[in-house]
Amino acid sequence: MAVENSGRWRGLRTAAVLLAIWEIVGRLDLVAGGALPGISEILIRLWVDWGDYPRHIWATLYASTIGFVIGNALGIGAGVIFALSPTTLRLFRGVNIAAFALPPIAIAPILVLTLSGMAPRIALAALGVYFVTMTATVIGLSQADSRATDVIRAYGGTRWDILRRVQFRGALPSILAGLRVAAPNAVLGAILAEFGGGGRWGLGAYLLGSLGRGEPDRLWGIGLVATVIAGLSYAVFALLANRTIGATRAVTLNTAVPDATPLVTHPAKQIALTLVTIALPFLVWWTFIKVTGVPDLISKTPLGVVDYIFFGPTAESAQKRLLAALAETLPITFLGMAAGLGFAFLLAISSRLFPRAIEAFMPVALVTQTMPLVALTPLLVLILGRGTTLTLWVTISVTFFPAFVTLAQGLALVPRSAEDLPRAYGAGRWTEMRMVTIPASLPYLFAATRLTVPRALLGVMIAEWLATGKGLGNLLNQSRGFLDYGMIWTVAAVSVLLSVLFYQAVVIVERRVLRRLGMATAE
Amino acid sequence: MTLRLNRRRFLGTAAASAAATSLPLRASAATPFTMQAAWINDAEFAGYFIGIDKGYYAGEGLDLTYLSGGPDVIPESTIIAGRADLALTTPDTTIKAIAEQGAPFKIIGAQYQKNPIGIVSLVSNPINEPKDLIGRTLAVPPVNVISVNAMLALNGIDPSQVNIVPYAYDPTPLIQGEIDASLDFTTNVPYTISQQGVEATSFLLYDFGFTIYNDTVVVTEETLATKRAELVSWLRASRKGWDENFKDPNLWPPKWADTWFAGTGRTIENEIFFNNAQQPLMESPAGYMAMTEEGIEANLRALSEVGINGTRDMFDTSLLEEI
Repeated sequence: MAVENSGRWRGLRTAAVLLAIWEIVGRLDLVAGGALPGISEILIRLWVDWGDYPRHIWATLYASTIGFVIGNALGIGAGVIFALSPTTLRLFRGVNIAAFALPPIAIAPILVLTLSGMAPRIALAALGVYFVTMTATVIGLSQADSRATDVIRAYGGTRWDILRRVQFRGALPSILAGLRVAAPNAVLGAILAEFGGGGRWGLGAYLLGSLGRGEPDRLWGIGLVATVIAGLSYAVFALLANRTIGATRAVTLNTAVPDATPLVTHPAKQIALTLVTIALPFLVWWTFIKVTGVPDLISKTPLGVVDYIFFGPTAESAQKRLLAALAETLPITFLGMAAGLGFAFLLAISSRLFPRAIEAFMPVALVTQTMPLVALTPLLVLILGRGTTLTLWVTISVTFFPAFVTLAQGLALVPRSAEDLPRAYGAGRWTEMRMVTIPASLPYLFAATRLTVPRALLGVMIAEWLATGKGLGNLLNQSRGFLDYGMIWTVAAVSVLLSVLFYQAVVIVERRVLRRLGMATAE
Repeated sequence: MTLRLNRRRFLGTAAASAAATSLPLRASAATPFTMQAAWINDAEFAGYFIGIDKGYYAGEGLDLTYLSGGPDVIPESTIIAGRADLALTTPDTTIKAIAEQGAPFKIIGAQYQKNPIGIVSLVSNPINEPKDLIGRTLAVPPVNVISVNAMLALNGIDPSQVNIVPYAYDPTPLIQGEIDASLDFTTNVPYTISQQGVEATSFLLYDFGFTIYNDTVVVTEETLATKRAELVSWLRASRKGWDENFKDPNLWPPKWADTWFAGTGRTIENEIFFNNAQQPLMESPAGYMAMTEEGIEANLRALSEVGINGTRDMFDTSLLEEI
C-alpha cells in the first residue's frame, strides 16, 4: 500500500512538473511566438468566455447523446444478430470494416450535402460509436462460459434462454467497456460535423467562429472543454461498469472484426458469400441515397461515381486529378502508418521500461486525442512548417493512441514466468524485452496495426486539408469551390476503399504470420 | 435546436416591439420561405437580420427561415436539394456550374457590387499588388483557389510562381510571418489583425481585374418559375433591410449581441468595423442588391479571362425591376 501510494505521488509530481513547464513556456511565449498559451492564460480566458459556453455545450451534448444512443442501439442490435448468426456476421464484414475505417473528414461533407439540421451531427456521432459497441457485443456474447450454457441446455433451455440467462449477463462487462470507448467518439463526431455543418450552436460552431480571431487561448479553451466532456463521458461509463459488475478486469480495446467460423464449405457458396460481402456496403450506400431522396446532381450512387470517373464528359480530367492526388497522398500515408505504429510501439516499450514518465505523459496524450486539430493548426504550422514533418506528426497524433493502448495491454499480458527465465540468467531489462516480451506480444502488434493503418489515411488527409494543400485532402476541398459533386463523392469513396484495403491487407498478413508461429489472433 | 426555433424564440422575447406583436397575426397567412446564407452569422448578413427583426419580410407576406452557412455547406446544394428557396453564392462557382454542368441556376441579385475578397498582408511586409506575390507564400481557403488563379492570370502571373497553401481561417500564421499574405474578406481580417497589435494592409482582387460580385442571389429555374412573387418580395424586403442598416452602420450590430451574434465567438466591435467597411462595396446607383448591365458585363469579362464562359442570360434582372 505504502509503495503504491508513493508511486502515485511521484506520478502526480511528474505531471505537476510538466504543467509548470507548459505554464512557463506559454507565459514567456517561447513556443512559436506565443501560439502556445500558458495554462493559466487558457483558464482565465475560459472564465472570461464562460457566458458563451452553456448553449454550445448543450448543443454538442444533445447531438452526441442522440448519436450515441442510435449508434449503440444499432451496434448492440447488430452484435446480437451477428453473435447468433455467424453467416450474417460474415456477410456484413465489409460493412463493418467500412464503418470502422471511413475517414470522418471525407464523410462530413457528404452528410452535410444529403442531410439537414442536426442530422449530420447525429449521424457522424453514431458512426463513431457503432463499430466499437458492435464488436464489444459480439465478443462479449461469444465469450460466454460454455459450462453455464451446457447447464441450460441440459435442462432443456432454448437458444433464447441461453442468450438471456448466460450470454447477456456474461457480455455485460464487454459491452460496458465498449460504451466507455464509444462515448468520447460520439462527442468528437458531433463536434466535427458542427464545425462544417453551418449550425449556430455547438462547440464545433464556436470553434469555427473563434478561429478568425487569432487568439490561441480561446481555441485551447474550447479544446479543453471538448476534452473534459469526452473524458467525463468515458468516466461515466467506467464508473457504471465498476458499479454494475464490481471489479472487472481491464477489457482490451477491441479492434478485430470477429471472425466467423466457415460454416459453408462448398467453394461456389464461399465465392457467393464473398461477393455479397463486398456488394453489401455499396448496397447500403445506394439505399442511403434513395432514402434521403437528394437529387442526382448532388448525390452520387456507386454507379454514379463509376460513371463520373470512367464515362462522364469530364472523366479524363477527373481521373488525372484523382491519380495526381493519390500519387501525393499514398507515399506519405505509408510513411505515416510506419511512423504512427513506430511511435506507439516505442511508447509501449517505454511504458514498461520507464512507467512513471509514461504515466505523466498520458494526460498530454489524451488531450491530443480530443483537441480538435484545426485549433492546433497554427501552432503545428509554426513549429513544423508545411512539409512532410507536419504531415507525419499529424498522422502520428491521429493514429498512435489506440495502437499504444492495445500494445501496452499486450506487453502487460506476457506471462511472468516467461520473463523470469532470461532474468534468472542475468539478462538486462532490454534483453528480456527483446527475447521474450516483444515476440510474445506479436498478436497485439498486429491488432494495433489493424487499428492504425486505416486511420493513417485520415491523418494525412487532415494535414493536407489544413496545412500542405496537396493530395486527396486538398482535392476534396477544392472540389467544393467547383461544385464538382462527382469528385466529392469519388474522394470519399476512394478514401473509404483504401482504408478498407489497408485493413484487409493487415488481416491477411496477420493470419499467415500468426498461423506459422502457432499463435492466436488477439481480440 | 434549429435556427428556425432560435428565430422564433427571439421574436417571442422581443414582444415589446410593435413589429413583433403584429407578427403572430400575419404568420398564419405568410408563405414559408427559406434562404441559405454563405457563412456563419456576422455583419455580412446584417440587412437580412434587420429585415427579419423589423418585420420587413413578414410585411411582404413571407415567413422567412434563415439558414447560416459553414465550411462544409455549399449554398447551391441547399437549393438543389430543395431545403432552401434561395442561396447567397460566389458567382464564379455558380457561373462555372451553369456553364460546365448545365446546373439550373439563375442569378437574380447581388449583395456585393465589389467582391470583398482580397489579399491581406502586414504593413511591415506589405503585398501591395499582385506582382508582389511572386515568390511569396499566400494562404488561400481551398474553395477560393479558383478566384486567386483567376486574379493571377489576369495580371499575367503564372500561379506556379506563387506558393499557395491552405488557409485554415486563423490569421496567426500571417501575424507570425509564417505566410506572407492570406486571402480573406478585407472587411474583416484587417480588424482582427489590428487587435493583435499589428497593422495590416490589403487590396481587393476586384481592383486588379477580377471584377466580380459576391453573395450573388441564386435560385433554381424551377423556383424562379413557381415563386416569382415571393422572390420579388424577398428582394424588396432585403433592400429595405440594407437601406436601414447603412443609415448608421454602427447602430445595429450592438443590438444583436444577445440574438443574431450570440455565441459566434466574434466581438461586436469587429462587426461594427465589418459593417462600415462593407458599405462602399455594396453601394450601387441602382440601389442595394442591384445588378447593372455594366456590372454583369464586368463579371462575364473577368470570368471569360480564366476560361469560365458565362452568358448574359444566366442573370435575370427582371425581378429587381419589379421592386
